[in-house]
Amino acid sequence: MTDGDKNTNANTNSNRGFVLTAVIGSALVMTILALSTIWASRKTVSATDEAVSAVSSFYLEAMADQRAQTITNLINNNFEHMNKALTVIQDEEIESQEELRTTLGKIKTLLSLNRFALVDEDNVVYTQYTTYTGESRYDFLHAGELSDRVISTLNLYGSSKQLCLAIPAGDLKVMGKPIKACFVQIDIAEITDLLEFEEHGNAFFGLYTGEGANLSDTDLGMVRAGENILVGTREHIPDALWDKLSTDFAEGNEGSMTLSINGMQETICYAPVPNTGWMMAVLIRESLIHEQIRSISDNNRLVSRILITVTLASMVLFAVILLLQYRRISSVKLETERENSRTFQSMANTDSMTGVRNKHAYSEYEVALNEMIRSGEAKDIAVVVCDINGLKHVNDTKGHAAGGQLIKDASTLICEHFIHGAVFRIGGDEFAVILHDKGFTTLEETFAAFNREVEENILKDKVVVSIGYSVLLPEDEQLHDAFERADNMMYKRKKELKTMGAVTRGT
Amino acid sequence: MKRTGKMNHRKSTLISLVLPVTLVFLMSVMGCSSQEEVQTVVSEVEENAAEVDDQVSSAVDFDHELDSYVPLKDHYNFYFTYKIVHPWWDAVALGMEEAQRQFLEKGITVTYEYMAPDEASAEDQIERLEQAESGDYDVIGVDVADEDIISPVLNEMIDEGYKVMTFSSSDGSAGCTRIAYVGNTHNYRDGSDLTEALCSKLDYKGKVAILVGSQGAPCHEDRARGARDIIGKYPDMEIVAVEYDNDSVEKAYNLTLDILKDYPDLDGIICCNMSNPVGAARAITETGSKTVIVGMDHDREALRFLDQGVIYCLGVQDCFSIGFDTLQVAVKIADGNKPGDLFPEKTDEITTIIYQEDAAQMLELLYGDIL
Repeated sequence: MTDGDKNTNANTNSNRGFVLTAVIGSALVMTILALSTIWASRKTVSATDEAVSAVSSFYLEAMADQRAQTITNLINNNFEHMNKALTVIQDEEIESQEELRTTLGKIKTLLSLNRFALVDEDNVVYTQYTTYTGESRYDFLHAGELSDRVISTLNLYGSSKQLCLAIPAGDLKVMGKPIKACFVQIDIAEITDLLEFEEHGNAFFGLYTGEGANLSDTDLGMVRAGENILVGTREHIPDALWDKLSTDFAEGNEGSMTLSINGMQETICYAPVPNTGWMMAVLIRESLIHEQIRSISDNNRLVSRILITVTLASMVLFAVILLLQYRRISSVKLETERENSRTFQSMANTDSMTGVRNKHAYSEYEVALNEMIRSGEAKDIAVVVCDINGLKHVNDTKGHAAGGQLIKDASTLICEHFIHGAVFRIGGDEFAVILHDKGFTTLEETFAAFNREVEENILKDKVVVSIGYSVLLPEDEQLHDAFERADNMMYKRKKELKTMGAVTRGT
Repeated sequence: MKRTGKMNHRKSTLISLVLPVTLVFLMSVMGCSSQEEVQTVVSEVEENAAEVDDQVSSAVDFDHELDSYVPLKDHYNFYFTYKIVHPWWDAVALGMEEAQRQFLEKGITVTYEYMAPDEASAEDQIERLEQAESGDYDVIGVDVADEDIISPVLNEMIDEGYKVMTFSSSDGSAGCTRIAYVGNTHNYRDGSDLTEALCSKLDYKGKVAILVGSQGAPCHEDRARGARDIIGKYPDMEIVAVEYDNDSVEKAYNLTLDILKDYPDLDGIICCNMSNPVGAARAITETGSKTVIVGMDHDREALRFLDQGVIYCLGVQDCFSIGFDTLQVAVKIADGNKPGDLFPEKTDEITTIIYQEDAAQMLELLYGDIL
């Protein structure tokens, strides 16, 4: 194995190590990436669950307070409008029932007051269309004198529920009669519309009395529309929680609790609606929210898995392409190195003047042939020995340039005739040709043609080359044996050519 | 449940629920030939149960629409006076307000006064009618406080050209020339039916008391008369007391306590108005007496006593329909129409007798209470 081969092998081993390291490293990185993504998504789900519980209570309290405030604002607006209405009536100087009804109609329209009415000292109620005795209809009239604002709830026959707001009328007189109070009736269904949620399905609200009666006619999770909340929750929550709920409702306390009903996690939050005796309750189904979040998490996890798979596939594909590319580059590099090696070897074995192979190449060739001779594989091989006549004379008389040219001419002549042979320049004026196959079979004709041209060259004063040849005999142990015979023949020819007029060393 | 006037006597939802099971069992034992026959009988019984539920829900009809009559004017003004300021008439008022709202939607304005004294009084009613005569009213409506005193007054008003109608619980006496009556036309029968239910419950023997509302009020007196007549049919039953509470729950309560003191072995109380059963039930609950109460009307507290089993049965009148129909008939009368094709001389409204098992549904129907 040559040094070049050793280097190539070392490089290949080094490259394999690099690729292996890269593949293992990439796989490790991808595994860590995948595991960390899965861990992160699981962590996110559990963290979200905790956050939902915390946030839902906070969210519910805010919702309950906000809706209670909406009702308070509505009540305050109505009280404000009722005071304005009293001022208007005071200024009107009403003298008949008809005038009063007209004025009440105007006020109702202008101030957007629902069922605005006056009550006189005999508890006769005056509205836009009717006048009626109302003591049995309104609890606030039982108290006699009215000294302050009154907020009460009317449970009308026919299951309609209304909010009744009344204020004292001061010293107002209408048609000569002292007016005790004015009041409005607001349908609680209208208030309910104001409080509607957008989050259908997960969040509920209900308006209740302190005794738990449902005013809003809305579902509150497991508590049906119209059902008393204390009745509706009795079977579903532990006694301690139910007692707290009852007490909080009776005393108008804020509160919240989480219930588990039929496997459904529900958080309820309640707050008093100021001055009404009402409780605003808001309920959220955490289970449903959890399910939604879990569904989102599952989707995210699926997306992560797809992402990891795609990334892994891309990495593998990229690695394969990289490997192929690397192998191609290595192959090209190896080929280039081989080519360079061949070039260097060729340069080492080539005669720079003539372009044929040099003595070093002949030596390698001779070693290889000797090996073949020893193994009995060599047959049909011939050696031709060539020597340029008069080279020294030309060098001496015409200079080395002319001598060099003579060598080139000789080389050309030899190559032209022995086109099927391996031509070597083995000395200053000596060449050797090794013939195989076709070169061997046409040896005699080639030899004769060469000699004919040489003899003609004598006359033309062109290059003259003496040649002798010998075929490899079975008893030859090495090529040199055939070479010596050919060399002897060449000397004989040299003498012969001298007689023909060729210039020789001794001339 | 029993419906007077329009409905036959019907018993409890409980029975209607138990009956299918019993029937299936009996038919199975008797070797009923096929599954289909059993199924058919069960279906029929279930239909009957559903019918009973429908009857409870239709005891009061809140779903009214004005008929096709086109009023001649775009504004009407009425005066109505009734016996006493009381929640029963507030329920009637809501029916009137619904009719007024529907007229308004058609562009017809109806204004009216709906007035009563704090205590039932024929004299007070006469004063109100005299005031109404001086007002500019298209029709004057009266819930007769005392038929003997008020009927002649109404006749005079008719003679003078006033358009007078009677409404709600009490009509004028025979010979009263008022134009029409809208309301309960079967007070005597209501009293009879309630008493019959009580007698049946007591196995037709025992001592009973009768609580009445206002003396002379036709509806109360008629019911009391019906009660007396039924008790008179059964020799083992005895009326030991008849008292008037003047439509006061407090008075009914005290009267019941007094009666129980005098007759601790009292077996039943027949209540002829809305305040009677509430006061009686309070007293019975307080004393722990086993006295059976039957009574009238839809008071929320009375319905809760019914649900608890303190009251045995209640006769519920359709007050909302009474109010709605009263205003609709008043408009027709104001236009000069007489009873006939447009409206009857007496518009009969139903009374439905309900029992413990019907109480929850009635409370939900009337007050939105879900127990």
